[in-house]
Amino acid sequence: MRYAWTIVAVLLVAGCATKKGFEVPGQAFGCPIGDAKVSSMEDLVKLKVAMEGTRTTVVPTEMRCSKSGDLLKIDANLNNDSRSVKRISYKFRWIDREGMRAADEEAWKPLLMYENSNLVINTVSPTGKAADFRLILRSQE
Amino acid sequence: MNRPARMHRLAFPLLAALALAAGCAQEQTRYGDAKGVETVNNQFGSTDLQMIAESMTRSMLQAPVIVAGNLPVVTVQEVKNKTSEYIDTRAITDSIRSEMQKGGKVRFAVDAPGMNPQIDEIKRQQGEYYAKEHAVEKGQMVGAQYRLEGNITSIVKQVRDTKDVYYKVNLQLWNIRNGLLEWSDEKEIRKTTTRG
Repeated sequence: MRYAWTIVAVLLVAGCATKKGFEVPGQAFGCPIGDAKVSSMEDLVKLKVAMEGTRTTVVPTEMRCSKSGDLLKIDANLNNDSRSVKRISYKFRWIDREGMRAADEEAWKPLLMYENSNLVINTVSPTGKAADFRLILRSQE
Repeated sequence: MNRPARMHRLAFPLLAALALAAGCAQEQTRYGDAKGVETVNNQFGSTDLQMIAESMTRSMLQAPVIVAGNLPVVTVQEVKNKTSEYIDTRAITDSIRSEMQKGGKVRFAVDAPGMNPQIDEIKRQQGEYYAKEHAVEKGQMVGAQYRLEGNITSIVKQVRDTKDVYYKVNLQLWNIRNGLLEWSDEKEIRKTTTRG
């Protein structure tokens, strides 16, 4: 009986030690991370976001993913904490399980962000072959 | 020297200088980025077409009839242009069809404009020059289960140095058998041009 209670206690502690968003191996906040070490939202954003061309001061602050059938759904929160309107463009790059391109390069999509604002951009992968992604940002100014 | 004569003497060197300047102003052609953001003017452009096609495709991929995984057969009908400018709406539906086809979740049946070439080819293969076992038989075409149609509208406002154009594209996927609307979505775009 004593040992049963010990086992229950160990299991409870193990359950509490799991951080929300990291329950599934290879995923963080629902987003695929492969073998990368991700322990926070900041790590996830750093892993998934790239800047191309002219860099922008708009920064992604949160990212969450889920599965819609075999398609990957992504929500990314962008933050403009400057006092001026920012114009950026963005696109998603889709990667398959082998690390190769899962779909054609997307077109750049223009976005206007008001001063001191947050905006959530969302998308769905174009094909079930897409197992991972990158969010690419650039300034339009 | 009188004035007309002086002007006459200046005319030739002036014309020669202008001709030289015009010759030096050479055109230069370079390839650009087909997927880049285009802001040449506020008329309907390539970026608008690309944004609409991508947005509509990604939305349609999540429609229950598509997600069901039965490879539904769709025919593309007209997207009406209700704006005041020329827009090739066929380009929008061609892009959507191309991306949906690559996604592998939908099949497309020949649409109305494509029927004549389709029938002509079938008739051609009924001729005596084709081996019957290698020719396409009549009466084998697959009918569509759903039809895709829509419209694009715009609201244009201009005052002094500012021109604002708002586009709205609406697409619908209708069940041909029972007339139910299976999916619908809209995409809005706003472009503003200011002078000075």
